[in-house]
Amino acid sequence: MYLRDYRDVFAGGLLACAGIFVALYAARHYALGTLNQMGPGMFPVWLGAILAVIGATILISGLLRPGPEFKPDVRPFVAVIAGLVAFVLTVDVLGMIPAIVLLVAAAAFAERPYRPLTVLILGAALASIAVLVFRVGLGVPIEPMRWPF
Amino acid sequence: MGLLDNLLLGLSVALTLSNLFWCFVGVVLGMFVGVLPGIGSLAAISLLLPVTYHLDPTSAIVMLAGVYYGTAYGGSIASILLNLPGTPATAVAALDGYPMSKQGRAGVALLMTTVGSFVGASIGILILMFFSPLVVSVALKFGPAEYFSMMLLGLVAASSIGTASPAKGISMVVLGVILGLVGADIESGLTRFTFGSMNLYEGISLVAVAMGLFGVSEVIASIREVRTGVPNRHISFASMIPTRDDVRRSWMPMLRGSGIGSFFGALPGTGGVIASFMAYAIEKRVAQEPARFGQGAIEGIVAPETANNASDQTAFIPTLTLGIPGNVVMALMIGALMIHGIVPGPQLMTKHPDLFWGLVMSFWIGNLMLLVLNIPLIGIWVRVLTIPYQLLYPAVLMFVCIGVYSINNNAFDVGVVVLFGIVGYVMRLLDLQPAPLLLGFVLGPLLEENLRRALLISRGDFLVFVERPISAGFVAVTAAILAWSTVRFIRNRPTQEVLEAE
Repeated sequence: MYLRDYRDVFAGGLLACAGIFVALYAARHYALGTLNQMGPGMFPVWLGAILAVIGATILISGLLRPGPEFKPDVRPFVAVIAGLVAFVLTVDVLGMIPAIVLLVAAAAFAERPYRPLTVLILGAALASIAVLVFRVGLGVPIEPMRWPF
Repeated sequence: MGLLDNLLLGLSVALTLSNLFWCFVGVVLGMFVGVLPGIGSLAAISLLLPVTYHLDPTSAIVMLAGVYYGTAYGGSIASILLNLPGTPATAVAALDGYPMSKQGRAGVALLMTTVGSFVGASIGILILMFFSPLVVSVALKFGPAEYFSMMLLGLVAASSIGTASPAKGISMVVLGVILGLVGADIESGLTRFTFGSMNLYEGISLVAVAMGLFGVSEVIASIREVRTGVPNRHISFASMIPTRDDVRRSWMPMLRGSGIGSFFGALPGTGGVIASFMAYAIEKRVAQEPARFGQGAIEGIVAPETANNASDQTAFIPTLTLGIPGNVVMALMIGALMIHGIVPGPQLMTKHPDLFWGLVMSFWIGNLMLLVLNIPLIGIWVRVLTIPYQLLYPAVLMFVCIGVYSINNNAFDVGVVVLFGIVGYVMRLLDLQPAPLLLGFVLGPLLEENLRRALLISRGDFLVFVERPISAGFVAVTAAILAWSTVRFIRNRPTQEVLEAE
């Protein structure tokens, strides 16, 4: 237990900042219009203001009461995000099959121990399923393999 | 057209080979993800959204609906055999289902939950069939003011009822509406919050948001948590036959459960989780020997499972007749229809009767399929329980990536998924619910459009929302919920701690 509910403190703080940003950005860049004829800026300004107020309320209430401990699971988080980023970066350059193998290979670091052979087989199997379901089954024109050279 | 004509039309649509096929795919996938802990119907439907781009709208919605009610059947299997709820709505089935399983009565428990699910679903579908035309006849008179107030009510109800912190729920709705603003403004054509990116001109893709929030962040959180157990138990036919006493005890709870489930399903903001807990609580209260509950009372599994399935079917009433999603899964359904240019609302039934009645009739077919899948084929699902999560989550990630990529052949969309995966995981750590965010995201553009129109008609006068009686009713209920939430917030004590399981 912590003396304050830090989850609410962080959540409220982030939301309040987001709300203030949205309201100010909309007010500066988009026309507000009148209530009769609302411009594109009116609704976002209100929403930003509401979010800022609720965020501040959550923050203050979090400061006033104890809260549970929390900590992120860093390893699975980094591994999964790295796998997805690897896919984004490689799918247009190398094609679908290598991108999936890379995705599986990176995401498998979420767990210990790392089993290279299992990962390779799983990657190959999933890549074949992807080709069968999306390219053969649904007829989506995705390049299975590309040669960038 | 009379009801009979509509039913025949629906049957002719639902019985085409392709719709039968997609209905079957939907319910099988629904059973599959329902059985597996760690993947819920939300994640599954998010994963399947890209596939719907390649289908015709009726098949797409028939399949997604099949996944939705299929999970309600499958979820109870893990609850009963392993004491691990496959889905939140079936968590309550573990209270008495697992003790029954330990007493060697797992077969009876599985059979009776399946029968209860079928009865609940059937009553839910009947209510859907008879009430939808009535709701539509009222809703056709709605103007922009009524729509705005109704959406406001739906959003406030969904984000504050049954959550531990209403303030956090409502803040998520507002954030969702803000994210829904991104892209070209319908009236002025001005692009908002795109920060110069052409990829954001049409707004943030619903598929990418749903996959990031429900697919990716769920995978990250589940890798360490999900433990699959091994139920080394063979479920034989003979072990499934209930005693005369079981049957006698079950039929009243089934009827009560159906009533409770149908009510909470149709009410926006509540759904299967609340319905199943409520049904359990009521059975315990009306029971002659409440002490049997928790020790393997058959009423304790039948009533909540019936309620859960009934609510899954009646949840389609507000979705299909008003265009207001009662829960997040329904918001995804609306999103799937919009992908095909169909806007759910009162006109849906008259403009697309084939889709509406075809979907309703597919519910009957899907539920019959589930009955077959559950009773003779139960052994297969028991074995599905043993699939390790280590093999499952890379498959989920693969479907996320290829699915999103396949929509526009654009890697940018997958990048948006990564961003929302990160946001979703941070939200999970900070105890912020992703479901209200998605509801706000889907309804946001409609909310703004109707607000603008209502104020244009009233020349900027806000009283329009309370001067029209139906709208005033929605506003009054919204205000009551907000007042009640404020009281709870000040007292700072969650009233229904059981619901935190959601």
